[in-house]
Amino acid sequence: MRVLEPWVADPLAEFLRESSARLALVMTSSGQVIAQHGFTRSLDVMSAAALGAGILATTGELAKILEAPNGFGAVVHQGERQGVWLAGFDTPRGRWIALVVFGHESSIGLVRLFFARFAEQISAAAPPLAPVRDVLAEGFERELDLSLRALFGSR
Amino acid sequence: MSMDQWQAALRDVTGITGVIGALLVSVDDGLVIVETAMEDLATADVAALSAALVNRAIRCTNAMAGPAPQTLYLVGERGALLAVAGRAPLWLVAVARSDAELGRLRLSMRDFADELQ
Repeated sequence: MRVLEPWVADPLAEFLRESSARLALVMTSSGQVIAQHGFTRSLDVMSAAALGAGILATTGELAKILEAPNGFGAVVHQGERQGVWLAGFDTPRGRWIALVVFGHESSIGLVRLFFARFAEQISAAAPPLAPVRDVLAEGFERELDLSLRALFGSR
Repeated sequence: MSMDQWQAALRDVTGITGVIGALLVSVDDGLVIVETAMEDLATADVAALSAALVNRAIRCTNAMAGPAPQTLYLVGERGALLAVAGRAPLWLVAVARSDAELGRLRLSMRDFADELQ
């Protein structure tokens, strides 16, 4: 597990332990990767972050069309061997996005349960800062690149 | 069985003294299919955790090369959780206080699970 913000480490470690998730990626809605677990290449993180943010932006727009005032809580893709849980959550430092990959050793229910706790713990532990920015904002790629360099070193 | 019939059967289960909730759970994804429970029972959490428990039990019996588990009975200081296998991947789960009529609950759940097969 690699984290940019040390106070994220404990809640994320607990979430990973309790949910048995295989991979996890936590980022801001502007593309800054806060923490990751299980990814070995920065390129994979970059792709997952961009695609995850894109999916959430898409479902957010879909929610507007469907007049769902609070949007959708999470998006789940259930595959044969593994599933993906993708959700946005509010923190005192703005809206964050989490992407979680889980296998047969876990389940949607478990990830949902412990993700809710993780989001609560992050909200409680986060030092207030940073205004909320839109998903896929102008500086998304630059922010993503900077955080990947910090997490993985030079690419 | 239809959703209404499931709901009615679950109401029969929760009608037993001391039972505070009954739910039909898909153990593949840990989600609730149908539920009848008291308001303060976090049924989604119960479903996720009981599905994890069932999956562990299944893996355990697989490792022992034994038959798949049909019933799980977890007793705590203040209550009990009883889970009975239906047609895969459905399990019937009931949460009861320690003063519940557990014998009757078990029979009732067994009957319901048979109907689910």
